[in-house]
Amino acid sequence: MKLKAAIIKEILILLRDRVGLAILFIMPMILIFVMTLIQDSAFKTLNEKGISIVFVNNDNDSLGIAIERGLRSSELCTVFDSVNGKPATAESAQQAVAEGQFLIGIVIPPGATAAVKNNVLQLVSQTLGQDSVNVTESSDSVEIKILIDPITKKSFIASVTSSLREYISGVKTRIMFESFSEEISSLIPDKEKKPSNAFQQTQIIKYTEVYASKSIGEVVPNAVQHNVPAWAIFAMFFIVMPLSGSIMKEKTEGSIFRLHTMPSSYLLLLNGKIIVYVLVCLLQLLLMLSVGKIFLPMLGLPVLYMGQSITGIIIISVATAFAATGYAVLVGTIASTEQQGSIMGALSILLLSALGGIWVPTYVMPQVMRNLSAFSPLNWSLEGFYELFLRGGDVYSVIGSAIKLMIFFVITLGISSWINKARRRI
Amino acid sequence: MLHLSDLKKMPENPIIETNHLVKSFKGSNEQVVKDISFSVYRNEIFGLLGPNGAGKTTTISILCGLFPPTSGSVIIDGMSLNGDLAGVKQIIGVVPQDIALYPTLTARENLNFYGKMYGVSGKELKDKIELWLGNFGLREAADRRVSTYSGGMKRRVNLIAAILHDPKILFLDEPTVGVDVQSRNVIIDHLKELNKKGTTIIYTSHHMEEAEHFCTNVAIIDNGKIIATGSPKELINSYPNCNNLESVFLHLTKRSLRD
Repeated sequence: MKLKAAIIKEILILLRDRVGLAILFIMPMILIFVMTLIQDSAFKTLNEKGISIVFVNNDNDSLGIAIERGLRSSELCTVFDSVNGKPATAESAQQAVAEGQFLIGIVIPPGATAAVKNNVLQLVSQTLGQDSVNVTESSDSVEIKILIDPITKKSFIASVTSSLREYISGVKTRIMFESFSEEISSLIPDKEKKPSNAFQQTQIIKYTEVYASKSIGEVVPNAVQHNVPAWAIFAMFFIVMPLSGSIMKEKTEGSIFRLHTMPSSYLLLLNGKIIVYVLVCLLQLLLMLSVGKIFLPMLGLPVLYMGQSITGIIIISVATAFAATGYAVLVGTIASTEQQGSIMGALSILLLSALGGIWVPTYVMPQVMRNLSAFSPLNWSLEGFYELFLRGGDVYSVIGSAIKLMIFFVITLGISSWINKARRRI
Repeated sequence: MLHLSDLKKMPENPIIETNHLVKSFKGSNEQVVKDISFSVYRNEIFGLLGPNGAGKTTTISILCGLFPPTSGSVIIDGMSLNGDLAGVKQIIGVVPQDIALYPTLTARENLNFYGKMYGVSGKELKDKIELWLGNFGLREAADRRVSTYSGGMKRRVNLIAAILHDPKILFLDEPTVGVDVQSRNVIIDHLKELNKKGTTIIYTSHHMEEAEHFCTNVAIIDNGKIIATGSPKELINSYPNCNNLESVFLHLTKRSLRD
C-alpha cells in the first residue's frame, strides 16, 4: 500500500512537471531527428553516392567511356557531365570545383584512348620482336586532370584516384589483350580456333562485400542504426535531471524531514521513484524506437532494423533503465542544492555520452579514448544495442552488457543509501 | 535552575522521559543541547520555549528520531528511542517548522499520500481527510494545488498531514509562525480539541502570549540548557516583577539579540 502510494505520488508530480516531461520525451526526439539528418549525409558519403564529381570527357573513345561508365556504376560517387545546365568543359569544371559545386572534377584529354592504344601497340610489337613505330613520350603520355576541392577528405581522393587507375588499367589490359590476340591470330593459320570474347573470361576474381553479422540478412551501418539507440540511451540517462531534481526538492521543501519521522523507510520512498522512472525510461525507448521505425523513414531516412531478438532488446532496455535510474538517484543524493544537481547531472551525462560513443561512434576515436569508453555505462548499453541492431546478436550476446549495467545500478544505489545513512548520523 | 514541575505530583509515568540529553554535531565541539532532562505526562501540552538557536528544534528532532543524541536517553511511551524507533514512529505525529508538502499536488493528494505513509488507508483515510479538511475550512480548496495556497492554508494542511493517524504524541515546531490571527486561532482551537481527546502535544514557539494560554507546562531553554520548567502560571508567580510569560522569558533569557 505504501509503495503504491509512493508510486502514485511520483507519477502525479511527474505529470505536472511540464518542463521535466519535455526534457524526457520531446528533447530526445528532436535530438534523434536532428542528429540523424546531420549524420545521414556523413554516412551517405561513405555508403552511398555521396561524392559529387563533374566529369569532362574530351576523349569520346573507349578510355573516356569506360571511366565514365565505371564511375556512374560506382557506389562511391554521383557523376555530373554538365555545369549550370551546360556541358562541362575543363575550364567550367575547374571553376565549379573551385566554387564548391563539386568535390572532385575529372578531365579526360582528347585522344587519350588513341595514346593508350599507341602505347600498348608499341609494347606488343616490342614484346613480339616486331618493328614498331617510334612513339615519343610527350606525344602519347595521357594526362588525366583531377580537380579537387580543398575541403575534400584525403580518403575520398584516394578512393577516386584508385578507381580511375582501375578503370584505366582495365582498358589498357583489354587493348593489350586484343592486340596480342590479333597478332597471335595472324600467326595461327586455322582462324576457327581463335578464342572469342576471351577477355571477359579472364575476369576470374570477384569481390563480394559481406557485413559480418551473426544472423541471416545484411544490416548496413547507417545514421538511423547508430543514432536511434544512441540517443535513446542518452535520453534514458538524462532522467538524471528530473529524478535528481525530485530528490533535491524533497530535501529542500522539507518533505524528506517529515518522511523520516514516519513509520516508512526511505528506501520504500526511493523504490517508488525507481519504479516510476524505470517505466519512464522504457516508455522513452519505445518512443525513440517508433521514431526510427515510423517517423524517420517519412523523411527519406532508412528504416530502423532492430535485429531478431525481442527478448534481447527487453533485457538490455530494462538494464539500461535501471542503470540510468541508479545514476540519477546517486546524483540527487550527492548534490546539496537543486542547481548543483542539475549542473552535475547534465555535465556528467554529456561527458559519459561523449565517452560512450553516443555523439561519435567509438571506432573513430583514438585508442586512448576507446579504452576510456569502456568505463561509460552508456557505452555498455550502446554495445548491447549494436549487438542486436547491427551484428544480429541474440539474448546471450547482450547478457554481458546487461550484467554490467545492473551491477552499476546496485553500486550506485548502495552508495546513495550509504551517503543517506551517513548524513543522518550527524 | 527552577524545577517547579518536580513539586507537582504526577499520577502516572511520563509519556516522554529524557535523561541527560547531549547533542553536538559532527565536526563541531560545541554542544547544541547540554545535558537536558525533562518529562512530559499524558495529555499535557508541553511548550519548549526559547530564543533562536536555543536548541529547541534540535531537541524536538532528537525526540522524533531524526538523528540520535550524542549521549543520554529518551523513552517514549515506554519505548526506547534507540531500541524501538519504528514503534515510536507509529505513535508520533510531527508538524515541521517548514511546510513539508508537495506544492504541485493538491491538498487532498498530499494528505492521501502522507496518510498512507502512516498506514491509514481506504474509507478510514478518506473520512479523516474529509473531516479535517472541513474542520480547518479547506474543503473548498482541497483539489487545488498547494502551491496556490496562502501561508495560513499551507500551515493548516501541514498540520492535518501529521494527525491523520491519530497520534498519541504530536510534535509541533512553531506551527503558527507566519500566519494571520484567524488561521492561528483555528489551529490553536483544533490543537486544544485534539488534546482533549487524548493527544499529548509538544510545542515550540516564539509567541509567548500564545504559549501562556495554550500550554499546560513549559520548559524555557537557552544556550542548550533548560533554565526553568513549570506551568505558565507557576512561572509567572515565581517572579514578582513579571506579570506574564513573556516578561518571565525576557527576565530569564535577557534582552540581548540572538542568531
